[in-house]
Amino acid sequence: MLFWKRTFPLLLTLLLGITFTAQYYVPHPASESLLTEVSVWGQIISGFAILLGVGSLIRSHYVKIKRREAGWGYSGVMFLSMLIMLGAGFWSGGKTEGTSFGWLYSYVFVALQGTMFSLLAFFVASAAYRAFRARTPEATVLLVAAILVMWGRVPLGEHLISGIGSVTEWIMNVPNTAAQRGILIGVSLGGIATSIKIIFGIERSYLGKD
Amino acid sequence: MTDFVLRLLRLDRRVIFLLIAVATLLPLLYPVSLPIRVSPEVQRVYDYMEKLPAGSLMLLSMDFEPGGKPELYPMAVALLRHAFQKNIKVLGMTLWPAGAGIAEIAFTEVAREKGKEKGVDYVFLGYAPGDASAVISMGQDFHAAFPADYYGTKTADIPLLQKVRSLRDMQYVMSLSVGFPGIDTWYVYGKEKYGFELGGGCTAVSAPRFYPLLDTGQINGLLGGLRGAAEYEVLLGVKGKAMAGMAAQSATHFVIIFLIIVCNALYFLTGQARGRQR
Repeated sequence: MLFWKRTFPLLLTLLLGITFTAQYYVPHPASESLLTEVSVWGQIISGFAILLGVGSLIRSHYVKIKRREAGWGYSGVMFLSMLIMLGAGFWSGGKTEGTSFGWLYSYVFVALQGTMFSLLAFFVASAAYRAFRARTPEATVLLVAAILVMWGRVPLGEHLISGIGSVTEWIMNVPNTAAQRGILIGVSLGGIATSIKIIFGIERSYLGKD
Repeated sequence: MTDFVLRLLRLDRRVIFLLIAVATLLPLLYPVSLPIRVSPEVQRVYDYMEKLPAGSLMLLSMDFEPGGKPELYPMAVALLRHAFQKNIKVLGMTLWPAGAGIAEIAFTEVAREKGKEKGVDYVFLGYAPGDASAVISMGQDFHAAFPADYYGTKTADIPLLQKVRSLRDMQYVMSLSVGFPGIDTWYVYGKEKYGFELGGGCTAVSAPRFYPLLDTGQINGLLGGLRGAAEYEVLLGVKGKAMAGMAAQSATHFVIIFLIIVCNALYFLTGQARGRQR
């Protein structure tokens, strides 16, 4: 039993990890056709991942309702919304133009998601007022850069101070690029290290607790 | 005096919300037109599109869900208008499951406006599951990745896709992305191996992340946020939704700047008071 739960997945990861790392450097037709085949597998597996996600969502909300946890009514709304969208989707054959599904998508789903995203502006403003303070020299540099970028990225700012757009561009192209590049290199090196650890079975958390 | 300043520092967040709401709504109700300067990263996308000969193939991947619509949808519309004006053939798709609906609306509306025919001038392929696997699969065998388009027509029967075998056949790929999968996915798994030219569009909050890719030429241009879309509309000479939103964005930015300055002034005032008390 341990073989199928531990050893086999580790061996499979080792084999596929090494094979597809090598595949990148081997442009032989056999190697390319292997990649073609496996990339389609990847797409199919991802499709099933959506089903897993839906299953997990249903389970967690079902448990919330069953235990009458705080806010369980919202879980009921989730089930109702899911059923309505699913029903409309099947009824319309998945098509959006001129269908009930399209109407729900455009006037309910899009509007709700847009609202959620736009709340960001309100919370950013509130957080900026409370937290963006020049407490240290580093915080002051960040604060000044933020004000310059916010000022220079909008037409009114450029209208009030001509040339501030170039200052904003410099901040984005030089200090920002340097910092982002540092982060990118760090993240990439971390990614490579983690991949190696997974391929060679040093990092095993993906296997679960059992 | 100190009590009053401290009260102001602890200002009810609903007052701030109200200020932002007013700053957003007023310019939308009473539009003000301000000149918009075009940044080099947007100009580069426009120039590249201008240089593409008629009949070139462009892939527009609208990698966002409705949350990103206010910023990214105007970009998609502007890019589609430009492509159709230039008689560039466009393939549309998304790597986000809930993005197919918006992407389809954009394609249908702009194609109708420009009198373009589905299957001949453009194809909408819909959602491709698998993130990186989808990009690799399209690079290896386009028809295996998309056996049918969004409407269920076999891709092998679509005239525009007759000669398309792989991502290598694309003259330009644009990813309008709200996160991952998005521009990074197209660069790491697509451009690197299949050698097409890649441009990007993203929300304003994620734009700083892509400047290293711009600097090295890994993406040839970038449309950042609503401002990026508005700049593209300026280049096209069209007054679209992005330009209309710039006044509201200007006002909101200035309210935030004002709040930051006020809170820092108050912070220093209370700091001095604390110093005097000590």
